[in-house]
Amino acid sequence: MPSPRLAETVAVHGRHRPHSIALHFNDQAVTYGRLSDLTESLRSQLLQLDLPAGSTVYVPAHKTPQTIALLLALFHEGHIALTPSPDLGSAALGRLAQQARVSHLLTVAGDGVLAATPAPAPEDGAQGFAVPDPGRTRLLLTTSGSTGTPKIVPIEAAGFDAFSDWAVDDFALSPSETALSYAPLNFDLALLDVWTFLQLGACVVLVDQQRATDAAYLAALAARHQVTFVQGVPMLYRLLLENGAAFAAARHVIFTGDSLPAGLLTHVAPAFPNAAFHNVFGCTETNDSFIHHVDPTADGPMPIGRPIRGSQALVLDAEGRRVTSAGTGELLVSTPFQTGGYLRRDLNSAAFVHLDGRVFYRTGDIVTRTAEGLYFLEGRADWHVKVRGVRTNLQEVENVLAAHPDVAEAVVVPLPDPQAGVRLHAHVARRPDTGLTSLRLRTHAGRHLPRHAIPASVHLTDAPLPRTSTGKPDRNLIKRNRMKEIDA
Amino acid sequence: MSSPDIAAEVRAFVVAEFLAGEDTSDLTGDYDLIDSGVIDSLGLVRLLSHITRAYRIPADDIEFAPDHFRTLDAVVAVIAAHSPAAAV
Repeated sequence: MPSPRLAETVAVHGRHRPHSIALHFNDQAVTYGRLSDLTESLRSQLLQLDLPAGSTVYVPAHKTPQTIALLLALFHEGHIALTPSPDLGSAALGRLAQQARVSHLLTVAGDGVLAATPAPAPEDGAQGFAVPDPGRTRLLLTTSGSTGTPKIVPIEAAGFDAFSDWAVDDFALSPSETALSYAPLNFDLALLDVWTFLQLGACVVLVDQQRATDAAYLAALAARHQVTFVQGVPMLYRLLLENGAAFAAARHVIFTGDSLPAGLLTHVAPAFPNAAFHNVFGCTETNDSFIHHVDPTADGPMPIGRPIRGSQALVLDAEGRRVTSAGTGELLVSTPFQTGGYLRRDLNSAAFVHLDGRVFYRTGDIVTRTAEGLYFLEGRADWHVKVRGVRTNLQEVENVLAAHPDVAEAVVVPLPDPQAGVRLHAHVARRPDTGLTSLRLRTHAGRHLPRHAIPASVHLTDAPLPRTSTGKPDRNLIKRNRMKEIDA
Repeated sequence: MSSPDIAAEVRAFVVAEFLAGEDTSDLTGDYDLIDSGVIDSLGLVRLLSHITRAYRIPADDIEFAPDHFRTLDAVVAVIAAHSPAAAV
């Protein structure tokens, strides 16, 4: 989305093939002609706002044709769109808007009418944050960040162009493709399954975010539109398989966002009899960096594969030394698509390092590289887990809970969950005589955390937390006790 | 089934499914179940499927919007508006 070339190319599709369908959304089919008209109408509505050149605006990432047209209009006009999740709490949104020096909140109604609300003038909230450069970026994504304030990641326009070129070439995509776009529009996954497909002049089936966990809806949608390209977290495939459907039109199936649980592949493969399977690894900061072409008959752990064309990977051991042959350590990647750095300047020196004349991003992921150069993901170097494919920092969730005045101490542990993959359990010691309840604590959590990071279960206690011999809260014991309770 | 009965049944379902083992004495009819993460999108599907089964409301009749399931009061109102059982 983040490039002038994209906006111009979509406009050309509008002129040359106005009757081809660009987007399916619920029962609407939006042609390239209609998408262009909508975009042009929004461009003229934008002009009436008299925004200074290269303004940054905030557009809640509702996954609708109208929002997509608004973003195209902004890319045309040379403005920058900050597109956080529509579910983000209002306090976090306010902070993000300050940090990006947003001038307006823009939304577009179902009838294509633009609504603009001026944002409060930036105060101290923007201190320490770079001003996004409209010459390099048109889009600011945010990391899934489990704290109240996600990190703002400018997507380079040239990086997006290089990425879409790679994807079209590597998957041999043509304008006759139909993608099933499952992830929310604010995820980097939309760079492939929405924006690359629109640039190509292909068709995108938008999953209604309200119904993203409705198995029957998803299977019917994929079947009705004969999707040829499917990208999603493992949960998507579990949901698609639930009613035993098969998707013969699919040519490419992409697993991403999380490790595919053991045993799922043997069920997925027969449901996509004509598809090639790929495990793709990436993050918002670098976009996709690894790909593995999956053998559907293979068992055992699925590798993330090898660096994609133009990318480089390094593995550093615990002492920060380069692992040059087979071995395990932290993964650093450098891709042609990566961001120029977070808007928040003081995060960049730790996250991005200069080596061999390239900038590498420290992923925080622990990988093992085999002697053949194949990479396997082992886990996180820090406190991150994936909840429904979204990277979530347990320590940050703990900090939010502990910030409640009635909380003495809080521990958050990940528990295995058959549907979500992982769900969070909070074990919280409250201060004496406060009468804090788990519901009040959830309300507090909901104000400061995105939904996926709110613990699914909360155990409140007046007793101190169990400790290890070194005096730290005993997270393993808390986790074991809770799992025993569930099994009981 | 009368409205108070529906309210009690819905409350019992939500407590058993989403708040098992927790102190729910302050779970009021206007408590926001969505923003507080008690019911997530997977939970929404479970709640919807319970309502359609327990109150014999066709799933297609219920608009699948989080606001209809945001509070216990809202859920009871949705059931009351659609349920053939509640109408008598």
